[in-house]
Amino acid sequence: MGLSIAVDVGGTFTDLVLRDEGGVVESLKSPTTPGRLVDGILNAVGIAAERRSISISNLLGRCERFAAGTTAATNAILEGTYPQTALLCTEGFRDVLLVREGGKEDTYNIRIDYPAPYIPRHLTFEIAERVNAEGGVERALDEAQVGAALQKVKQSGVRAVAVCLLWSIANDRHERRIGELIERHLPDIPYSLSSAVSPSIREYRRASATAIDASLKPLVSASVGALESRLREAGFKGIVTLVTSSGGQTAGAEVVRKPVYLCLSGPSAAPEAGRRLAKSEGVKQGNAIVVDMGGTSFDVSIVTDWDIPMHREGIIAGHMFGVPSVDVKTIGAGGGSIARVDAGGFIHVGPESAGAQPGPACYGRGGERPTVTDANLVRGFLNPAGFAGGVMTLDAARATAALEQEIAKPLGMEAPEAAGLVCLTVEQNMVAAIEDITLKRGVDPREYIMIAGGAAAGLHAVAMARELGIKRILVPRVAGALSAYGILVSDIRSAFATSLLTDSAGFDFDRVGQVLAKLEGEASAYLDRMEVPAAKRALLFTTEARYRGQVWQLTLPLPRSRIGDQAALAELVEAFHKLHETRYLVRSPGDVVEFIEWNVMAVGRMEEAEAARPAVAASGSAARVGARPMYFRELGGMKEVPVYAGQRLEIGEEVAGPAVIEEPLTTIVLYPRSRARATAQGSIWVELQ
Amino acid sequence: MVAEAKPKTNLDMFTMVVLRRRIEAIIREMTNALFRSGRSGVLNTAMDFSCSLTDASFRSVSVALGLPVHVGAVHLIPEAISTKFGKNVAPGDCFANNSGYLGNTHCADFTLCAPVFYEGQLMFYSIARAHLGDMGFPQPTTYNPRARDVYEEGLMLPCVRIQRDYEDVPEVIDICRANIRVPDQFYGDYLATLSAVRTGERRLAELCGKYGVDVIKSFLDEFQQYAERMAVDAIRKLPAGTVSREMRYDSEIAEYPDGIPVRATVTVDPKDARVIVDLTENVDNLPLGINMTESTVLASCMTAVLNVLGADIPRSSGAFSRIEVRMREGSAIGKPKFPAATSAATTNLCHALTPHIQSMFAELADGLGTAYGTIGMPASCPVVSGKDSRHDGKPFVNQVIMGYWGGPALSGHDGWLTYGSGASQGILWQSSVEVTEQQQPIIVEKLEIRQDSGGAGTWEGAPGASCVFRARNDAVRFMVNSASRKFPPPGVRGGLPGASMTVTKQRADGRREELPISVDVTLEPGERLISEACGGGGYGDPLARDPEQVRRGVAEGRISRERADTIYGVVLSGDGFGIAVDKAATETRRSATRQARAR
Repeated sequence: MGLSIAVDVGGTFTDLVLRDEGGVVESLKSPTTPGRLVDGILNAVGIAAERRSISISNLLGRCERFAAGTTAATNAILEGTYPQTALLCTEGFRDVLLVREGGKEDTYNIRIDYPAPYIPRHLTFEIAERVNAEGGVERALDEAQVGAALQKVKQSGVRAVAVCLLWSIANDRHERRIGELIERHLPDIPYSLSSAVSPSIREYRRASATAIDASLKPLVSASVGALESRLREAGFKGIVTLVTSSGGQTAGAEVVRKPVYLCLSGPSAAPEAGRRLAKSEGVKQGNAIVVDMGGTSFDVSIVTDWDIPMHREGIIAGHMFGVPSVDVKTIGAGGGSIARVDAGGFIHVGPESAGAQPGPACYGRGGERPTVTDANLVRGFLNPAGFAGGVMTLDAARATAALEQEIAKPLGMEAPEAAGLVCLTVEQNMVAAIEDITLKRGVDPREYIMIAGGAAAGLHAVAMARELGIKRILVPRVAGALSAYGILVSDIRSAFATSLLTDSAGFDFDRVGQVLAKLEGEASAYLDRMEVPAAKRALLFTTEARYRGQVWQLTLPLPRSRIGDQAALAELVEAFHKLHETRYLVRSPGDVVEFIEWNVMAVGRMEEAEAARPAVAASGSAARVGARPMYFRELGGMKEVPVYAGQRLEIGEEVAGPAVIEEPLTTIVLYPRSRARATAQGSIWVELQ
Repeated sequence: MVAEAKPKTNLDMFTMVVLRRRIEAIIREMTNALFRSGRSGVLNTAMDFSCSLTDASFRSVSVALGLPVHVGAVHLIPEAISTKFGKNVAPGDCFANNSGYLGNTHCADFTLCAPVFYEGQLMFYSIARAHLGDMGFPQPTTYNPRARDVYEEGLMLPCVRIQRDYEDVPEVIDICRANIRVPDQFYGDYLATLSAVRTGERRLAELCGKYGVDVIKSFLDEFQQYAERMAVDAIRKLPAGTVSREMRYDSEIAEYPDGIPVRATVTVDPKDARVIVDLTENVDNLPLGINMTESTVLASCMTAVLNVLGADIPRSSGAFSRIEVRMREGSAIGKPKFPAATSAATTNLCHALTPHIQSMFAELADGLGTAYGTIGMPASCPVVSGKDSRHDGKPFVNQVIMGYWGGPALSGHDGWLTYGSGASQGILWQSSVEVTEQQQPIIVEKLEIRQDSGGAGTWEGAPGASCVFRARNDAVRFMVNSASRKFPPPGVRGGLPGASMTVTKQRADGRREELPISVDVTLEPGERLISEACGGGGYGDPLARDPEQVRRGVAEGRISRERADTIYGVVLSGDGFGIAVDKAATETRRSATRQARAR
């Protein structure tokens, strides 16, 4: 095995995980350099090289794989900083991006503005044409009118063009012709066609995915180009890959073609990290809830039977990006979440966050409102001297003052108890998010382990697990760089899709055969480009199916890669009945099953991660490093509780709660009736009684 | 008596936080259970259903989930069970109720309610309400605005036991199946609704087991006290006053040639922390299906007042207790008197009542309340039926929800686009054009903002939709209960009304025919139905609107240049991508208009 490096470029930190030729894994953090992301990446590589006392070019020269996750695309969408983009749509449907699909998150709040569309109305241009549901042409494409519209596009000064016509999934000729005309009239402007980006039914989702894809093209081709060329200059000779929405990685050149797949890049690798870590720690059943809690947000995803559930309803800042992605639920809960008491005397925590500036009161940067980090400091769980790897000292007096003023006094309690209440409240919010993502699938969290990543998760993991009835928690050694680890170990993946409506009563064997052959060809060509050896290849075929009359479809894995005869069809239909029963508790054996879309995921498997050994062996000195007063409600208040240094724990050494284990980037709180054990890989298992 | 401002809790705040979240999680799990297994489009496309619960004394402990009109007065459902069955209620029972006379919203809302016992003690009622795709009406619709009495509406289930000992009462199921056009779909939706109710029942019983009956009971008391304190605090911040107002609702009957009056008097008493809504001056029951029910009247009033009070007040009995609603039996906006028809009780007059009450707060003080939102369904929201030759003439009946827009403006915000009405307040999902065309033999030729349809104002009402349907190779029947013709949604505080709705049939040869308020039309192949929806009303003087917002409206084609000029007094220069505000000329124009008004 060669040396490989993965980086996860977040908003604040760039995390790096490196696995050397001997399988030794190490992780580190370095500040992100906004606007010059590659600098931050090279800084992180520089730190890794320095630790080994070699030059960057020496390290990169030995590196076979360099994989990156970047929130650059996600942030451009979140902050609305993507380049101006035009949308060409079917005449009569100029408001498709504005209307979305209706529904309203917060029904009872009327004091909010309706969100702006991804592409404004004045940059949306109507095209005279119409195709019907069966792909027939109701109105021929008026090429002169397209030419006139493209002149307007030119005048508008946009840097990209998205094209999404109604029913282009049933007949893409009009879209393809417009593509040719764009190349002729606007040769320097990148464009995206909906039939190529996301050929699935529902015009809003397809238009939104296409708009996002087109808008990211100018950004992504520049930044991927910069990453590849700067790495090459610095001595790297292998393939640069990027992690996509699906949690797999793919070559930079592929991402440049379909940049919408960069949505959620970074966090999308967390469930894969959880899956691999659970496997390498010897977990038998493949059910895990992966949580990641940082300063402002809490992400939760799941692994069920070693499988990471995907969906096509991923949303960033209210815009659906439509392509297959891992299902990650994010809520506003983190160390910076602000606590308050309302007029009726009830406590609330978040989603408002103090962020990094002014930050929690204890940062001493002018923040006066109490946050979760302040509460953890006041209840003694955080060591004021050792925060964020010791780079920061926390001000307990300010934290106490804020907590007393805003929470303790109004509720008539002491500051430590108020601190406990603030934490319980944020834990309840996180528990609700976990329940949401599990119950939605009808799965019982009690059958899952929890994998806790992020700087703040260790403080709350035991409390959350207890509430959910989860018995075991894994805090991996790479908890502080969970997504970067996931990027390192994730498979090579890319999705290919075609729309074709047929049903079980009149199944179109010929056309389905052609579609599947075409998909297989595209997938194989992709794996060729990615230089994946035959033994590591897998093609996962699925179809989108539903009972006739239903409007929502289910993703059904094909039992085999071809549906050649009645027997194969019967097998497919039975698989659908079974899936429907699992998800919706009922089956309708007499109903016609409709198949509306055919997909293949091309997979190049990474070698299963072997035990990722820590870089430094246990030191032999006593792990217990002291004790300090901490507030545990079940112990009746502030009590002296032992503190352990996680890096000094011997393999197999156990620590019984109440106790606190301090790691460089996180703190693990053990409540009474829980105990921790250090593993050979330097991770911590926590068992709850 | 006014509740104490300071919390007096016997339960510690830790337990309060946990139990509040547990109850929210239970309602969310009920909602999930229903969504996962619902069969008809109304349930699993539009999400037209709600789950809720009350304690043994019928106090609702609702969270911000579900349709406002569904959950605003859900306590009437267990009350009806108690009135009718007294002590004769046992574990394993489940009751079905769709009667507007027994606390239900309207006929098509099929409501199931199961008592929740723990160790022999009645603790809760678990409730789920779902709008079914068909309820056995004489015509293929789920609202009948022209019904003269209940006998022209759907099958009636007057709070009957549908399960005993957790088993179906077969006679009741048989009656339903015999009366409903799509019996299998009905039974699937029944099972989905039942599964929500039973999920709630099981989880609530577990909660009682884990925390003990006494803790749960004190939580329920204290939570209501908390909700009440929140409402008290918000009402105390309002100005004192009484406002009476009448608005007109479109009439298609001879008795009311100038529209049906909708009347209310709202009194805000901050000292006593109370809001009184008096509806007793309203007209008698009409020979129409638009009569409201006790449930929809109460829910509309609670929704409207709480909209004004704020989003953070729990939508629970404790908060409702500060709002007194006075209504009269036998009134169209009150309790119906048998056999008045009420199958459109959640739409037409209901759409008018919620914003009507909100508008009175706008009169009370600048910054409060809202204008009026969409009243009646635009023709882009029809119940469509017919036979589809693409599938061997298979019959279909389905509610399309498209272009259900036009929210009211309020101080600080333009109207919410996909608002729909005060009954749903934006919660309903909008049908996809492609899915609609796949499921029905129609082509949607247009679905776009109707220019200048939102009421002008400092804050503009959301526009309505301009929508065109064309029948393909089959005849398709469209039924719509529209309104907002002569009386489009008014504006407030100088804001202007939204545009009027129109519904037009266009023949294959191009000739056009205006259709009446209650639409029942069959399109032959090639014929079109043209729907121009109303917009929401505006809030405040149009001359005070930010000229930059006006410029954007013109640049985006949402409003015309003429409106910018004549109504907003904004002078624009340039065109295309170069439209700009002439600030000096705009100021001159606006002050001249103000002076002219003063004279």
